[in-house]
Amino acid sequence: MINFEMVSPDNAKDLYLPVMAEIIKVEQMTELETLYTVALPDGAELGHKPGQFVELSIFGVGEAPFSISSSPTMPGVFELGVRKVGMLTEVLSRMQPGQKVGIRGPFGNGIDLENFKGKDVLIVAGGIGLVPMRSMINYVIDNQQDFGKLHIVYGARTDSELLFEDELERWTADAGIDYRVTVDQGSSEWTGPTGVITTLIPGLELDLANTVCCICGPPVMYRFALMALKSKGLPERNIYMSLERRMKCGVGKCGHCQINSSYVCHDGPVYHYPEIKSLQEAL
Amino acid sequence: MADKPRVAIFDFTGCEGCELNQLNFEDQLLDILAHVDIVEWREAMDGHADEYDIAFVEGSLSTPDCIQRIHEVRRKAKVLVALGACAVQGGVNAVKNTHPIDEVREEVYGQDKYLFPTLPALPLSSVVKVDYNVRGCPMTQIEFLKVFTSLVMGKEPVEPEHSVCVECKLKENECVFERGMICLGPVIRAGCDAQCPSVGQYCTGCRGLVPEPNLEGMEEILVSHGLSVDEAWKRLELYNANEVEGVRS
Amino acid sequence: MVQLFLESDRVAELVAHLMKQKSVFAPHAKGRKSFAFEEVKDPSAAVLDYPRVMHSIRKFFFPPQETLMTFDLKENTCSVAETPAADAIFFGVHSYDLGAVHRLDYNFSEGNPEKNYIARRQGAVFVGVSYKPDEFHFSGSVGIDPYDTAGFDIFLTKLLDGYIVEALTPVGEGLLDGIELPAHEAGKPARGHFQQHIYLPQAKLGQVMDGSYQNEVWDDTAKKCVGCGTCNLVCPTCYCFTVEDEVNVQVTGGSRDRRWDGCMLRDFSAVAGGEVFRETLAERQRHRVFRKFKYISDETGQPWCVGCGRCTACCTAGISIVNIINRLVGDYEKVAVTPI
Repeated sequence: MINFEMVSPDNAKDLYLPVMAEIIKVEQMTELETLYTVALPDGAELGHKPGQFVELSIFGVGEAPFSISSSPTMPGVFELGVRKVGMLTEVLSRMQPGQKVGIRGPFGNGIDLENFKGKDVLIVAGGIGLVPMRSMINYVIDNQQDFGKLHIVYGARTDSELLFEDELERWTADAGIDYRVTVDQGSSEWTGPTGVITTLIPGLELDLANTVCCICGPPVMYRFALMALKSKGLPERNIYMSLERRMKCGVGKCGHCQINSSYVCHDGPVYHYPEIKSLQEAL
Repeated sequence: MADKPRVAIFDFTGCEGCELNQLNFEDQLLDILAHVDIVEWREAMDGHADEYDIAFVEGSLSTPDCIQRIHEVRRKAKVLVALGACAVQGGVNAVKNTHPIDEVREEVYGQDKYLFPTLPALPLSSVVKVDYNVRGCPMTQIEFLKVFTSLVMGKEPVEPEHSVCVECKLKENECVFERGMICLGPVIRAGCDAQCPSVGQYCTGCRGLVPEPNLEGMEEILVSHGLSVDEAWKRLELYNANEVEGVRS
Repeated sequence: MVQLFLESDRVAELVAHLMKQKSVFAPHAKGRKSFAFEEVKDPSAAVLDYPRVMHSIRKFFFPPQETLMTFDLKENTCSVAETPAADAIFFGVHSYDLGAVHRLDYNFSEGNPEKNYIARRQGAVFVGVSYKPDEFHFSGSVGIDPYDTAGFDIFLTKLLDGYIVEALTPVGEGLLDGIELPAHEAGKPARGHFQQHIYLPQAKLGQVMDGSYQNEVWDDTAKKCVGCGTCNLVCPTCYCFTVEDEVNVQVTGGSRDRRWDGCMLRDFSAVAGGEVFRETLAERQRHRVFRKFKYISDETGQPWCVGCGRCTACCTAGISIVNIINRLVGDYEKVAVTPI
């Protein structure tokens, strides 16, 4: 027999029932990406950590997980950066402020801030990987006293796909932030560096022992970013990464997001590199 | 949606059973008509339309005339939905593709064969862009309703990718193989609610193959249940000759 | 424990007696040679002598298809669906299927306890029956004997001419009140004899799995496997699901439904944008087997396979999970005895 106590029905939850939240603002960032500002009913706070996600649903269309893009320091509302890639996001792209969507969450472990406090923070974000990482970046900026230097390495396919342009400008202008950006292919207007994101890593000036890194990007990026960071000399124990998998339930039940023994929605999406090194399906 | 979408229904090479199946929506037909205006439908009404939003197209493409007409439909339609096995994957018509085309013409038309130009039976998608599929022979009614309501809601219909076995298991049907019959369910796309196995029949594969099917594995299953290798591939070809052709070595 | 005796031709009488107290669900013959758990209407239709039912009793607590909530598209509101307690007697359950229910109890309790399952699970009473292992059962290799009474309220042990009846809980004793059964004097029959075995003690399976990630058995199995998902869907310890919204024809409302899903299906691990994280059948076979013998097992110390043999019996391609495990065991032992 399995050694455990079955929970009583009073202590079990309606895990799948969303609350209805209002879209406050819709901001088109690029051709495919839109930033939605969302408010829970009665001004309730979402109460999330950087790196967590919510399940957003539109009745009759379905439900999908989205990374929370705003910092917990932003009061009253939260932001979701959404790329239009499927049926749900297609319908979402037609929604206007004032309309309501279902929200469940926040889910996932999020970034363990204790391991970043007092340290220099390096964020490596590829493509829409910046969406969840922006939550952490803005959290660090808003709580500067708790962290050391902030390094941001950001790569996009083209300059037209760069997200959060106002903020990118601010990061560029802020002398306290070491912000570097590259695009795989620049347009005629692009004056910055071109090349894949890993080309930015060798040039970083890092206090290696005192820098903690978090990586988020498309599946293909992780392996190369890791190689670059390791050859730079960053200890493995200082590396975290946020992963994406298919999810349905968000609460560790439905099985879709499983990487070997780990449920991304529950044990992740942010993993400490030494812990997932042994998970063959992770990277 | 301010104006009701205009719907047109067309038939190419096929038995028109899919369209009949549409007329069979006795309980839902009024609900369907509440959402759309049908502007052209040869089987059910008179008249032609020059413009329409959604075209439902039945049948495969098997003559040069078909090719010309489907391009015309595509130009006029905002959304094109392939209706039924012939339109989606070539269907039974495509069995002829497994024979030399001249033999086929002679068999059908005899000495008049030169009067009737013919092509291999092709799915619509091999000539024009098809937006969505309603599969089955005849087209699956529940899937038509799903695609239809999706279009009315402005969302993309989702095509099932799993096998018919999944739907049999959800209904706790006794496995067709247990009943001593041969079934293609393991490699055929679900979405029909396992209609045939649920009424004592076997799956003939009308809804098309699952994506990336292991057909060698399926051959082995069919052979282990008593078919010869040739019979096994013939079974698979019945509705899916176009897809199977490339795989069989 | 008091042992009573039930003659074979009094089984229907016992079922009828139980039906006076609660709804009774029992195996019924279905189709040509299958059995399914269904609510008993006619006590004489309940079957106690059967190899296995198509779906275990998990289907009553975690239904194949279930509405999670209904919604109104005009109002943009939703209301959660009812999940009534089972509150019934499950009569004629084999020990491995109850073992599977205990595993699901764990899965739906740990982490985020799920109300749908836990609410449905309430009031379930289990009457077990021993069985004669057929060519697919291998429960003995995962620590579940055909006569294992653990967790049952009442257990029936098959004899030649009837059953030994034991009430194992106060609930079970209460259910037997009012039916006169003679005492059973002689002992119990010998332990079940299995035709199928994993050739290694259960405690060592963890070590075998540790070294089997790259084994060739996955590719070899994938050649035969067509990825139909049957093995997942008939497995009594599988609990993966998918969720979809259904809309009515009037487009005024609908329901958010979940249904059983399986990791052998290609789209199971696909994300929006098209990436499939377990692209090959070999990877999917490995994941399935690791789910049964490694991942949750490392956490709980128990195999998450109960040896019912369904995945093998139902596989049209003839893939046997016992053969897979035994190949891994064989390779493990080769390595273990080979000096480095």
